Amino acid sequence: MASASSVEPAYLPSSVQGAVKILVTGPFGVGKTTLVGALSEIDPLRTEETMTSAGEGVDDLTGRPHKATTTVALDFGRITLSDRLALYLFGTPGQQRFWPLWEDLSRGALGAIALVDARRLEESFDVLGLLEEQRIPFAVAVNVFPDTPAHPEAELRTALDLLPGVPILTCDVRDEDAAHRLLIDFVDHLRVGALELS
Amino acid sequence: MTRGPVRPYVITGGRTRANRDVLEFESLLRTVPGAAVDPMVVNREQLAVLEMCRELLSVAEVAAHLGLPISVLKVLVGDLWELGAVQVLPPARPAERAPLALIEEVLVGLRQLR
Repeated sequence: MASASSVEPAYLPSSVQGAVKILVTGPFGVGKTTLVGALSEIDPLRTEETMTSAGEGVDDLTGRPHKATTTVALDFGRITLSDRLALYLFGTPGQQRFWPLWEDLSRGALGAIALVDARRLEESFDVLGLLEEQRIPFAVAVNVFPDTPAHPEAELRTALDLLPGVPILTCDVRDEDAAHRLLIDFVDHLRVGALELS
Repeated sequence: MTRGPVRPYVITGGRTRANRDVLEFESLLRTVPGAAVDPMVVNREQLAVLEMCRELLSVAEVAAHLGLPISVLKVLVGDLWELGAVQVLPPARPAERAPLALIEEVLVGLRQLR
């Protein structure tokens, strides 16, 4: 269990009436925590969730089926958008073994930013499949590392097998201004999607 | 808190689901000012929740600050809610007929930040 924080919580203005959430997902080490930290107005927080799942694929010396308990660390941040609305950003692991947590996390989410490392695209296949399956509106954001190869968008789209409506954005997630522009571009994409529905 | 870890089912009285299962990670909490809570019916963690939520915080934030899993915090808060000791502000959700309004409100808010 995470140790209790001794820091005084940063409270929301008392006029706030509700909050929305956006997920930041992708494979381990892709930069989810960095992006949440670049966008958050508070020091990013971490909570640990225990998850019980059937011990599929888990070695058990007794050879009997058993349940495996996994601890998942969730990093999250916050942006106060106005005197009445707040936004939470949840860094959400994309690996298949964490999917039981997705039901809770994705319920009511406006959408998800799927961070991708262009040097290891195959690690994103799992989570992109999940987002499509769960019909969560999402955009792909390529995190630009110093040695990220330059891929033409069409090539990336084919390699990731993306549907035509899914935008591919790029961002150096360590750069606060770039991260902020990424979030605006993403929400603007959600707006266009909602326009088409209405 | 200075105590060691406590197994979650101990502090939730063995229950794993909140009485009102509509608490979300981003639900906002605030202790109801002047709520009379019998110290015999709430545990130490719940007293800590009431102390922390004297102003507005999300379920996820309270869990992180108290070092508790969100699932455990939901159960503790569910009880406090039943007792009328906390106010819960449900998440803002896009209206079915007009999902655009909320998304535009988010966009306006983000654009005003810088």
